[in-house]
Amino acid sequence: MAIQGAEQTILRDPALFYWILFPISIVMILTGILRHYATVLMNSPPRSATTLAESRERLALIRAVNLRNNACSVLDREAFEMRKNYLVNGFRSGAFLKDPNNRGQPPANPMTDPAGMEAMMGMLKGNMMMMIPQTLIMSWINAFFSGFVILKLPFPLTIRFKSMLQSGVMTRDLDVQWVSSLSWYFLNLMGLQSVFGFILGSDNAANQMAQQMGMANPAAMVNPLQPGQDPDKMFLSEAENLEVMEHFCILDGVEERILQNFAPAGI
Amino acid sequence: MAGPVDVREINGSDLISALHLAQQAPAILGQESGSGATSSNSTKTADYYVRVEQLMLACLRTGDDQSAQNCLNRLSLRFGPSNERIMGLRGLYEEATAKDHSALEKCLQEYDNTLSQSPVNVPILKRRIALLRSLDRPSDAISALIQLLDAIPTDAEAWCELADLYQSQGLGSQAIFSLEEALLIAPNSWNIHSRLGELLYICASEGDTSRLLGRSVQHFSRSIELCDDYLRGFYGLILASTRVLDNDYAGVSGQTPSKKTLERLKAFALQRLGDIVESRSVDDQHWASSRSELIAAKELLNRFK
Repeated sequence: MAIQGAEQTILRDPALFYWILFPISIVMILTGILRHYATVLMNSPPRSATTLAESRERLALIRAVNLRNNACSVLDREAFEMRKNYLVNGFRSGAFLKDPNNRGQPPANPMTDPAGMEAMMGMLKGNMMMMIPQTLIMSWINAFFSGFVILKLPFPLTIRFKSMLQSGVMTRDLDVQWVSSLSWYFLNLMGLQSVFGFILGSDNAANQMAQQMGMANPAAMVNPLQPGQDPDKMFLSEAENLEVMEHFCILDGVEERILQNFAPAGI
Repeated sequence: MAGPVDVREINGSDLISALHLAQQAPAILGQESGSGATSSNSTKTADYYVRVEQLMLACLRTGDDQSAQNCLNRLSLRFGPSNERIMGLRGLYEEATAKDHSALEKCLQEYDNTLSQSPVNVPILKRRIALLRSLDRPSDAISALIQLLDAIPTDAEAWCELADLYQSQGLGSQAIFSLEEALLIAPNSWNIHSRLGELLYICASEGDTSRLLGRSVQHFSRSIELCDDYLRGFYGLILASTRVLDNDYAGVSGQTPSKKTLERLKAFALQRLGDIVESRSVDDQHWASSRSELIAAKELLNRFK
């Protein structure tokens, strides 16, 4: 433990500052930017439906959710029951499935299904983009700068921060204010988000253009079905949700409501 | 960089604001070549391309085909001619500049070719339906639209178009159904609520009058609740409540409110409509685009004086 009240002084070569602190920060910022653009480059847009039946399979679920959420503000009882019955029957009989004949068979293996394969590749690419630079930089720092104490924080901290700020320096007595090079790397890794936000614009600004032009196609926009999921099972559970739904309508009594809320007292 | 463009003019779908926008064509189109294509802020460039697209539509409406062609070229330079939305815009341009009937038929043929290659090209699907409609083949348009909606049931715009088509064919209840579907997707849009009220009011003469009129009053009321200075909502509310009162339907079935409520509702609507007409007549320039609505409202108010 450091002695209370006594100020620890360590004489540091100013070259530590120029040759360790600066390079680590700059390398971290540059890799962050590089990673951002690499992600943009390798990002493949979600595959849109290629046939009308496929698009229907995807969107039938959203239609049912819309009905559940919004029926209360639009439909009267008769219209609601009609739509509910139609959707429940469709879900139960598999009319909305892309391929009604394949119903009940186990879902295709995601490894052989090209769509599933693509989605998994996308995930893999994203993970790789995070993993590889991190591993490289960390081993670079470990090889060249391990064990350096490179900066002193201007405020005192409790002992719990020791493991966070002084990884790579195995001294028990060193005050917690001192930061080691490896810890500086970790601090940069976690704390540079706002710097990237400042440099690259609000998050994923570069992606916006692609999304914008895709907007015209509602079928491409959403896909509630994850690869490997059985749409039939989701339909059946949605049918159950619909069936237990109780009808009410906010249009009942709307006349009195607006008189009360908007009309002046004289009328 | 970007010159100040009034938001109202961009959003307007009426002819006057389209004309205003089209007159800015040289300014908007000249802008990018001046500031260079290396504009750093991507949000800004995204906005820019949205504006170019709107400008193209405005130019086509006002007959400035040359500028429209420029806009289209710029868009397809940026997004590539095989982008679905660009294909739709190109089709729109071809249709708008078509000289005669056979040219339109050729457009239709082209759409069919495109669709046989990629059946879920939504912009082209929609263009094809619009073209069928303008070729005076409404029943074909309806069946194509139904096919589209079967595959993409979450497209409010398409449901509204279907409702409009049905109404033009005199199929009231189908039109009502379609508008209800559109409302299920966008439950807070007061203009669709009021449109549904209008449809119900029109269909009420065919049968089941009291129920339909009651629902019409409800939807007009809802549209007012959502937007408390919506002129069409008040106008419709006055008409619908008057008709319920005249025919003594008030309080008949469970659907219609009591006579007293309806009378208060009508008085309230008349008063608010009067206020709206008064305030908008003063600020004439700002409301220039909806002048016809204003005139109709004045006429209605005179009838009840």
